[in-house]
Amino acid sequence: MNDPELEELFQDPAHREVVDLLKMSRPAAPPLDADFRNYLRAKLMAEARRTLQPGASRRWFPFSLSPKVLAPAMAAVAAGFLVVLGIQIYLQNQSPSSMVAVDLSRIQNKTNVATAEPIVIPFSGPVDKDAVAKTVVIEPATSVTKQWVGDNLVIIPDHPLAPNTTYTVSLKTSPTASASNKPAVPSTPTVAPSPVTLHFTTVPAPIAPVVPPSFRSGNVSYGQESRLADAGTVFNGGWTPAGQLLLTRPAGQAGPGWPSPSATATASGPPTPKATTDIWLMSALSTPIRLVVPGGSFPAAAPSGGVFAAWLVTSSNGANLGIWDLQGNLQGTIATIDSLPDRAPVWVGSDRIAYVNQGRLLVVDTHGANVNTPPTQVQHGSLAGSPLGMLLAVESVAASKVIDLASGSPSPLPVGATGFAWSAKGDLAFVVPQPAGSDLYTAAEGKNAQHVASSPSGQTWSDLNWAPDAASLMLAGKPVGASSSSSRLMMINADGTGLRNFGSQQEYSSPQWSSHGDLVLFSRQDEAGGRAFWTANTAPSEADAAGKQAMAEVEKFMQARLQGDSTAAQESLDPAGQSAYRGGASTLLSPTGTKFDRYYPVTVQRTGSNPSKFLVALRIFVSRSGVQRSFFEEQLTLVLKDQRYLVDAVTSTPSVPLGHGPTVLSYEVVPTSSGYQVHVQFDADLRPETVTADTIQVKDADGKLVRAQITFDPDRHTATLTLPLRPGNTYELVVTTGVTDVNGVTMAVAYHAQVIGR
Amino acid sequence: MPDFEERELVERAKEDPDAFGALYDRYFPQIYRFAYSRVHDQSLAEDVTSEVFFKALRNIRRYTYAGHPFSSWLYQITLNAVADHYRGQHGEVELEEGASLPSSEPSVVDEVVRRDRSRRVWSAIDQLPRHQRAAMVLKFGEDKKIEEIAQIMGKSAGAVKLLLHRGVERLRRELPPEFEAGLT
Repeated sequence: MNDPELEELFQDPAHREVVDLLKMSRPAAPPLDADFRNYLRAKLMAEARRTLQPGASRRWFPFSLSPKVLAPAMAAVAAGFLVVLGIQIYLQNQSPSSMVAVDLSRIQNKTNVATAEPIVIPFSGPVDKDAVAKTVVIEPATSVTKQWVGDNLVIIPDHPLAPNTTYTVSLKTSPTASASNKPAVPSTPTVAPSPVTLHFTTVPAPIAPVVPPSFRSGNVSYGQESRLADAGTVFNGGWTPAGQLLLTRPAGQAGPGWPSPSATATASGPPTPKATTDIWLMSALSTPIRLVVPGGSFPAAAPSGGVFAAWLVTSSNGANLGIWDLQGNLQGTIATIDSLPDRAPVWVGSDRIAYVNQGRLLVVDTHGANVNTPPTQVQHGSLAGSPLGMLLAVESVAASKVIDLASGSPSPLPVGATGFAWSAKGDLAFVVPQPAGSDLYTAAEGKNAQHVASSPSGQTWSDLNWAPDAASLMLAGKPVGASSSSSRLMMINADGTGLRNFGSQQEYSSPQWSSHGDLVLFSRQDEAGGRAFWTANTAPSEADAAGKQAMAEVEKFMQARLQGDSTAAQESLDPAGQSAYRGGASTLLSPTGTKFDRYYPVTVQRTGSNPSKFLVALRIFVSRSGVQRSFFEEQLTLVLKDQRYLVDAVTSTPSVPLGHGPTVLSYEVVPTSSGYQVHVQFDADLRPETVTADTIQVKDADGKLVRAQITFDPDRHTATLTLPLRPGNTYELVVTTGVTDVNGVTMAVAYHAQVIGR
Repeated sequence: MPDFEERELVERAKEDPDAFGALYDRYFPQIYRFAYSRVHDQSLAEDVTSEVFFKALRNIRRYTYAGHPFSSWLYQITLNAVADHYRGQHGEVELEEGASLPSSEPSVVDEVVRRDRSRRVWSAIDQLPRHQRAAMVLKFGEDKKIEEIAQIMGKSAGAVKLLLHRGVERLRRELPPEFEAGLT
């Protein structure tokens, strides 16, 4: 046999005969087209030469423009998903018949353009590519890489574009040899003498100035619950980061536009997903959005990236582990198992997935390549991955541990540790069962576990789930030895203090906070003895509810101003506010010949300790002749009067012309465990060396500089100042004209704004 | 190629197109052969092979040596590409563990009678359940070590041994009597 492995494996002479025959023979050589081999090599080498350059990768950019990917990208151009110049331009040549045109009629002034899309400019014929590419100018200043794919100029921003920003792309005339009147080069026309200009506006940033920044799970209480009635029977599921639900349902249940299934449909005990289940994307109210994986089960949304992993049963004893996007497009099959899945795959960060196959722990990356882990046997033990990546908590047959996937080394956890849950900050929580109760532990970054609380005697804890702010945990508590029907939801602070009930009902278990903190998904025993899924609203703190109410009033106020409705706008002003506008503190309606085009909130801050007073800064864009020319900023003070927020005071900045250097896009004040962070976002790519403590400052009421550490994230064009602020005190944020974009253009004017410690 | 040379070549291929070309030249035959063994269609095998090498090119910067030959990674990608293909086709034609090989059916019997023993036994392998077939092809067709097969298939070495044992046992048990006679 001459193969020790086979000799050891096959001792039976009958087996050895078969093995010997197999070793002596070989499968017939497959038919091979030599041309195919050469063709594939040529294609690969061309692609390799294009992509295998040092520094060619962009970690944020979700596309690679390989031929295979470019084809759908080009199709997306037709579908209008990409930014395409929306006007007709003609390229200079001597004969009109040989002019090269660009059909760009569709998207001039397009809005809601995604920030992570390439800009594709299709030309109708050959041009002097170098000359054309060199003339491209983008405002606000944006570092880009330009590529030609056929006759399409593809402009790839080096960092995502800024939200809420109107961009101008122009192709300027650039005299070149081929553009001259020399008759020798008539076939390489270049850009026409007049510059071609395109405007488009990126998507608004999520309006989250008050919630979740001021969301504190410690302030949250139980609101009201509702059953996922429209979902019908649900076996398992969870949240997506965007607040939708991915649920495993029996195959063939109702979808959008179909009659709702019976509201009394019930979950049928423990999940038994075979190829008779489907995975659905649903709203938080359980409205079916779309069927995403027919035959799928146990979905698990990635912490980011808009994808999820799930199982697809392929036979009576096997299943594939795949990754899909939320449209239901399979991104790839990354693993197979030899049994029916009985638990969801576990994301470790957004690029690794752990699962169990025949009792063996395995980890793969999103392309299916195995990640080295120490041999670990897992039966029904707990398994959880840190959303920050690299750390995997495992309750194995032998012991509980945290495995560092970078080094492969395990760190032991206390004996009996189970029920793992990772917070968004990367803290691990778990329980250790005791004879008369449970001990709760937390471990920052999975290390140095600390015992923080013990359950009341006679009560056990399980189903840990962190609140999105990582300040509290929700858990299920029940009497020792009792059935799940006695389980109830409880909350406890991360330091082990403040144990309290969440709701008053029994039979609640398996809580999962939504990422925004406004809902909790949980399961509950139903009247038929099965389990059904429910959600509970969390009642926000008084300040958060007030913030939402204030912003709703601002929206109403601004819509009236955008429409030029003075009467409606004045209804949002109290007498002091009306006086302020009349006195010239700002302009209520746009001056004649101009129009308030759009607005967005730059910041929203609760003022000091008074929850019924807010400072809201708005950036208002002014257009003339249909083109945005400038903007100004208003700082509104809203106060609660007769249960309604009204504008009580206003200040405004001078008008700033667009296209004259970088500007501050927004700023946000976020309390942290050790102080505050002020995030200042810009609209342009900046020279990082100009983002310093000298150019971005916070001063106290006496004008004294508050010492701050400053960092800069080029992908988000955002500077972050970490500094101490006194709650309730007012400070001034100053951004000087020393901040410079990548083209060397400084800010046109310094930026001044209020910052309030909370 | 010695292990250290292959590792160096792979590292160079992360930035050097020619080095990637050398990897392609080295591994094309076995990846194409393996793809063909799974799909039994020349055109489909070409598609799978193309997808494997383009995926490898796109992701080679993320490849890290984990104690197994570079080819293990390519085999993994191949298995996944084949799985993706069949996913859209209502699943691979699959036999249950307990089901019989169709060797007693006239077409297979004819095949057994008609062809030589080597062809007969490989035809029978083609009828094995998917995982058994993959393990058998990698062991007896590609001469892979059990540990490497385990890495490729994402299974434990013990599971691979079980698949091989079951595969051989089923060949022994279910091939027609004439074939067994030929073995001795």
